[in-house]
Amino acid sequence: MPETTRGASTEVDVTLRVNGSVRPMRIDSRVTLLDALRDQLHLTGTKKGCDQGACGACTVLADGKRVLSCLTLAAQCDGRAVTTIEGLSRDGGLHPLQQAFIRHDGFQCGFCTPGQIMSAVALLAEGRAGSDEEIREFMSGNICRCGAYPNIVAAIREAAEM
Amino acid sequence: MTTTMAAPPAVAGSGVDRVDGRLKVTGAARYPSDFSLPEMAHAALVRSTIAAGTIVRLDTDRAAASPGVLAVITHENAGRLRKARRNMVYPLPTPPLQNAKISYNGQYVAMVVAETRQQAAAAARLVEVTYDRDEPALHPRDSGAKPRSNPYFMDMKRGNVMAAMAAAEVTVEATFTTSAQTHNPLGPFTTMAHWAGDALTVYDSTQNPFLVRAMLAGSFGLADEKVRVLSPFVGGGFGAGLRSWPHSILAALAARTVNRPVQLSLTRPEMFTGIGRRPTTGQRLKIAAARDGTLVAIDHYGVSTASMSSDSLYPITIGTTAAYACPNVTARDKRVRLNIPPISHMRAPGIAEGNFALESLLDELSYELGMDPIELRLRNYAAVDPQTGLRWSSKALRECYEAGAERFGWAEREPAVGAMHDGRWLVGYGMAGVTFIQNHAKCRARATMRHDGTAHVCSGATDIGTGTYTVMTQLAAEVLGLAVDRVEFELGDTRLPRAPEAGGSGLTAALGSAVHNSCVALVQRFLGLVSNDQKSPLQGCAVGDVVASDGRLARADDESRGESYAEILQRHGLDELTADGDRAPPRAAKGVLVGALAVSWLGRFGRELVDASHATIPASAFGARFAEVRVDPELGILRISRIVSVTDGGRIVNEKLARSQLIGGTVGGIGMATLEETATDPGSGRVANATLSDYLVAVNADVPDIDVGFVGEPDPSNPIGAKGIGELGLVGVAAAIANGVYHATGRRIRSLPITIDQLL
Amino acid sequence: MQAFQYIRANDVASAVTLVSGDPGAQYLAGGTTQVDLMLKDGILEPDRLVDITRLPLRSISRDGDVLSVGALATMEELAADVTVGERLPFIREALLASASTQLRNMATIGGNLLQRTRCRYFRDPLVAACNKRAPGSGCAAISGAARMHAILGASEHCIALHASDLCVPLVALDAVAHIEGADAQRSVPLTQFYTVPGDRPHVETVLKHGELLTAIDIPLLPLGTRSGYLKVRDRASYEFALTSAAVALTIDDGVIADARVALGGVGTIPWRAPEAEAVLRGAAVGAQVFLAAADAAVHDPFTVPGTAFKVELAKRTLVRTLETVMEGSA
Repeated sequence: MPETTRGASTEVDVTLRVNGSVRPMRIDSRVTLLDALRDQLHLTGTKKGCDQGACGACTVLADGKRVLSCLTLAAQCDGRAVTTIEGLSRDGGLHPLQQAFIRHDGFQCGFCTPGQIMSAVALLAEGRAGSDEEIREFMSGNICRCGAYPNIVAAIREAAEM
Repeated sequence: MTTTMAAPPAVAGSGVDRVDGRLKVTGAARYPSDFSLPEMAHAALVRSTIAAGTIVRLDTDRAAASPGVLAVITHENAGRLRKARRNMVYPLPTPPLQNAKISYNGQYVAMVVAETRQQAAAAARLVEVTYDRDEPALHPRDSGAKPRSNPYFMDMKRGNVMAAMAAAEVTVEATFTTSAQTHNPLGPFTTMAHWAGDALTVYDSTQNPFLVRAMLAGSFGLADEKVRVLSPFVGGGFGAGLRSWPHSILAALAARTVNRPVQLSLTRPEMFTGIGRRPTTGQRLKIAAARDGTLVAIDHYGVSTASMSSDSLYPITIGTTAAYACPNVTARDKRVRLNIPPISHMRAPGIAEGNFALESLLDELSYELGMDPIELRLRNYAAVDPQTGLRWSSKALRECYEAGAERFGWAEREPAVGAMHDGRWLVGYGMAGVTFIQNHAKCRARATMRHDGTAHVCSGATDIGTGTYTVMTQLAAEVLGLAVDRVEFELGDTRLPRAPEAGGSGLTAALGSAVHNSCVALVQRFLGLVSNDQKSPLQGCAVGDVVASDGRLARADDESRGESYAEILQRHGLDELTADGDRAPPRAAKGVLVGALAVSWLGRFGRELVDASHATIPASAFGARFAEVRVDPELGILRISRIVSVTDGGRIVNEKLARSQLIGGTVGGIGMATLEETATDPGSGRVANATLSDYLVAVNADVPDIDVGFVGEPDPSNPIGAKGIGELGLVGVAAAIANGVYHATGRRIRSLPITIDQLL
Repeated sequence: MQAFQYIRANDVASAVTLVSGDPGAQYLAGGTTQVDLMLKDGILEPDRLVDITRLPLRSISRDGDVLSVGALATMEELAADVTVGERLPFIREALLASASTQLRNMATIGGNLLQRTRCRYFRDPLVAACNKRAPGSGCAAISGAARMHAILGASEHCIALHASDLCVPLVALDAVAHIEGADAQRSVPLTQFYTVPGDRPHVETVLKHGELLTAIDIPLLPLGTRSGYLKVRDRASYEFALTSAAVALTIDDGVIADARVALGGVGTIPWRAPEAEAVLRGAAVGAQVFLAAADAAVHDPFTVPGTAFKVELAKRTLVRTLETVMEGSA
């Protein structure tokens, strides 16, 4: 028999593991991972740019892989490890990518920045920062309307070389 | 950093990292959608599905009965909202939900307020609307379209174009079209509103909190002081936030109706109808010259679209009068009102479109004459403002061409069409010149020195990613003689001193000057405190007699004699000292436009009037854009392989941030030239590509190396010497690309965006 | 989107039984189609959503000359598979040209095959005339702002494009879909899996409600076969195809011993081009043959003003793909 939740309820019990913390919650089944992070857990660092899977601003890591949190139901993430921008720096220090973004001015308005950085963290782990061309291609799922792309590439290149 | 009040600042200034950088890279910067309050409810909008007609029936029962719904508001129960005072440049919107009339597809017809955003969105889908549909006017030639010539009273002329054209040795003529575009800042515009009695506070996505305040105060019949607008961070603007929009009124209405804070975030599809757009334009341009390339006449006629209810000041052709030393010029605009969503300024409004036509046709002329395109520009270099004959405040356009050509390797260009290639790719080089008239605005800032030797400087401006926080921090630090991390700059709050919009590329000059003046005034106050103080080594000093560094004022003639701000405060028993500074734009700023119009209308008599009134210095930023393009002739694919962009922006306060502005403008220019078009369904007027996967903005892989350079000298038209560079990075890029396409393929593309189907 | 009951499936059989028996139940895999159409576009409104992502259908394994791919394998996982890299390079190219890494980490192979059209007339529930959503209501795209639409397998009833890149080489290879139903299992070649809209655009595949794709079997290309996938689009990345082509050629002494050709960006279904294959098979490699194959492939197109350019572009795309496959790069 498939697991059901509370009879015919449209609510779901979900336990997210976010940035190392265990966060159980009871939510409307429609709540996306993005909305759960922002509204339920008040982690507003992950941004909603289009809510339709087209811009990449909502990128987080799920079990270490970069995904779009706006197109993922929170319910699907029960028990999965989620890392957001808030979970990137340890003890108030900045991750090398964050430092590189500041140094190279890899942002302007900053709205796409958390998603860019989380995507770049995964890009480095995927080993896809071998050339500027590769970085550009594999970061194209993160739109920056301010057009900071060349600086984003420079920041990632520097972090890759570290 | 040491400074005397009178030291001339260098052109390329310190590349200090953004002071808000840490907030942005950690996700801690709070945009309007990041604020929430206890008991906050959510609003969702319902939009019309027809472009013209009336609502005959609204069925809201199912929506109202939907789980979590607190209110359903339509024109039947919204109550009266007043229209706020008029604004010619940034018209305030028609108050929403006031009647059954529909003027465009996407107009708001209802709003649902519910406990959660999921409930609000679900209930909004349950509102049923029945319309009586009229045939909409969606194209300038449709019956029902409302044309108007000289709609902004800014048509200009000089000389006698007709006679000069008739006598000219060489003439080129063409029509150009540009598409509607949508700003699509990545942050969806959001208003979070809450009332405390009759006082309203909103967090809003805006480039002008004071305009939002005026709109809300007017809508609800409140005094300005009763409304507070906060906008510390905005997820991009590009001009969309220069006007205020009806969704902000609706958020406040929702909050008042349910007596709780309400958040209203536009969905991405709503961002295509709710915050304006670049209009569609058609331009007819004719240029006449002598065989040696001297321009003798330019006739520039532009038609642009607008909505039925209001339109922004959006002249297309006016830039042509300032660009070149040509004795006979007419620049005329026509606007056609249609059943389309409102137009709003989008980065370099009017100038971007007009420049595309002018710089493309000049390129055609250069080939017609067998002349290098840069040489043609230099031959007609406007050493003075050609419309009024007045000297520019500063102009280094020649240096832009020279430096740009060198950095780009223009000398390697083989002039013959199709001569350059790389494997399958045809390679083309194109260039364009840019003249970008400055915008002058009034501004006030306030500077406070605290007893711990740190300074707090503030103004009600916004930072939409341009770097205002950082640049103002630097300017204040420079004048006050403090380290950058000892200055805190606050903005984005209508409770702070009044600032102009973050638009028209005018903010750095306006606010920077106000900040400068407020800091100088603050130093003056300190000197005033000690003017009769025997104990102070600064006694009797005026501002010109001191230098400021390391939190300390010292005598310029003997720097060992001085006191720190903290010491002075302490000795006088003060916690802090504050001073305001204003920037009032020179009357000349208005005078130059009036002068230009006078010359247009009154000819020589107008010129005499201008001289007599001492209307002074035209100020403009300038640029040269160079593009290397590659075209795959079989498949029609166009890729931009290299761009060089050199700008005369006067004093560059922060080179790192200025470079980012130019890069960002260039990316916007690539989008305008090759990708972006807001598509409208011809029958319904619906935006047919209202998502970020259907509407194409440039992605990382589209953007090549962009080499940015700055030339020129500090501009004397404001105390900080800066010229506005936020927009002009985009201008000229489309022409440089189109000219490169011609050089590569021999095909002259005069319609933007340049898409594959045009190149096949 | 009205609230729904979320159910997590533990095994294939009970998931299939549940959905088959309930017309208001739908499957949820990666979500990039389902969540999009439900929550964002609002055109799907299931009462119950059955999450199948934890079912054991994720393995990718080679069995002789066949690569067996679990329907829940992600696009990134398939792109990284060693056998795909060695023996099916044009599948890897098609996958990496699709979407973004984020989406490829979420989207499953089964979901990719079953993706719904991107047509913005289909995806807007407030557009009344859509034969796919509301049979008999007409097609608003035909007289509308059409560009990312089909020209093959299209008619006045529907011009909705099947936008998958992956499906293009898959149909070229005669991949086989394994289907689990409530009563029986069956296997259907991908070339028979999709139905051209005809006058019933609301029917897209042979799947009955509740049937679940469990695996795809992909025959490996013979050793020495050259293959390539070329995708033509407006921007340099992160966009669906205007046109694309998947080509595999077995060359014997300058003669084409076997050819597989399929087109993307142009079909209402993934478009195998047997007419092009017939021209190529047995012919000597050369420009004229390639042109003839392209003409054969793009025959009897149904165009509207916004898509007319695709006729020529699709032909040139195929020719270019054939050329670059022969040159040894794509």
